[in-house]
Amino acid sequence: MTIRIAAVGDIHLSEHARGTYRAHLDGIDERADVLLVAGDLTRHGTVEEGQVVVDEFRDLGIPVVFVLGNHDYHSDAEQEIAAMLRTAGMYALDDSAEVLLDGRLGVAGGKGFGGGFAGKCASEFGEPETKAFVRHTREIADRWRIALKGLDTDHRIVLSHYSPVKETLAGEPPEIYPFLGSYLLAEAADAAGADLIVHGHAHAGTEKGVTPGGIRVRNVALPVLGRAYAIYCLGGEEL
Amino acid sequence: MDIWDPPHYVAARVQRAIAEDERTNELGIRVDIRGDHLFLQGQVCEEDQRERVAQVAAEAAPGMVVHNEVICVAVGEPGEQEVL
Repeated sequence: MTIRIAAVGDIHLSEHARGTYRAHLDGIDERADVLLVAGDLTRHGTVEEGQVVVDEFRDLGIPVVFVLGNHDYHSDAEQEIAAMLRTAGMYALDDSAEVLLDGRLGVAGGKGFGGGFAGKCASEFGEPETKAFVRHTREIADRWRIALKGLDTDHRIVLSHYSPVKETLAGEPPEIYPFLGSYLLAEAADAAGADLIVHGHAHAGTEKGVTPGGIRVRNVALPVLGRAYAIYCLGGEEL
Repeated sequence: MDIWDPPHYVAARVQRAIAEDERTNELGIRVDIRGDHLFLQGQVCEEDQRERVAQVAAEAAPGMVVHNEVICVAVGEPGEQEVL
C-alpha cells in the first residue's frame, strides 16, 4: 500500500512571515499522507518565530513531523520550540522515532550534525573542541541506530537537517562539506535499514543522492526544491 | 599611514557579518569584491531579507558599491510525485 510522503526543509520563517506560508500548504491532505519538515524552521530560533511555525503548520489534516536545524538552536530555545510543536499536536524528533499511519510508517531522526565524509572528515583526536565536535555527531548517529532498530513498521524513514551523504551537497563549495553533514549519519541508517533519508541544510545542493548502502537520500531544502514540498511515494505503483 | 585592507579579508568580513548579524543570520551568501565594487549572490526566503543582507554588507564594507544579486526563493506548486 502506497504511502505518499510530502517533505520540505529550510523554510526559515521569521515573524515577518506570519500568515504567509499557510497558503503553500493548502490541499496537502489530498496530495500526501504525511508531511516531513527537515529543520531550519525559523531564522533566529526564537520562541516568537516558533509560534509562527506552529500557527502555519497546525491542523493540516495529516501528521506533521519536524526536526530542528541549526538556525532553530541559535537563541537557545530549541527545547521550547519542540515542545510548542508537540503541544499543537505535531511531532518533533530529537534523536527519537515516531510510529505513524497505524504502524505503516516509522520516522526516526533529529537535527544531525557535521564532521565531513569518509576519507575527508574530522576525528575525535587532539583538542577538546575538536573531540566534542566529532563526538556530538557520533553520539547522534548512535541514537539514530537505536531509534531505527526500535521501529517495527512497514516502512522506515530517517528525517535529518544535516546531510548523510555528499552527493546531495553538489553545488555547495566542497570546502564547507564538513559543516553540512557527516557520513556517520548514513552509516547508522545503512546499519539499521531505512527506505529513505530526507534532509535539508544545503541550500545550494542537489535533490537526489544515495547512501553507500543503497538508501535513497533527498535534499528537500526549499531553495533546492523551488516548490512548496516534494512528494515521494513508498511501497507501490504510482497513484 | 593608511593600511591596505586586502579585498580577501573585506569579503570574509562581510560574509561573516551577514551570517552573524541578528538582522540577517543568513549563511551561504557569496561575497565577491572587484575594485571598490562588492557583489552579493545567493538565495533568501523573503524579499525584505534580500534588502537586509545588502544593508549589513554595506555597513561592514563602508565606501564600497554594493551590487545586490541575491534572489528570493520562488515557492512553486508541489508538482509531480516521485515513486521510490
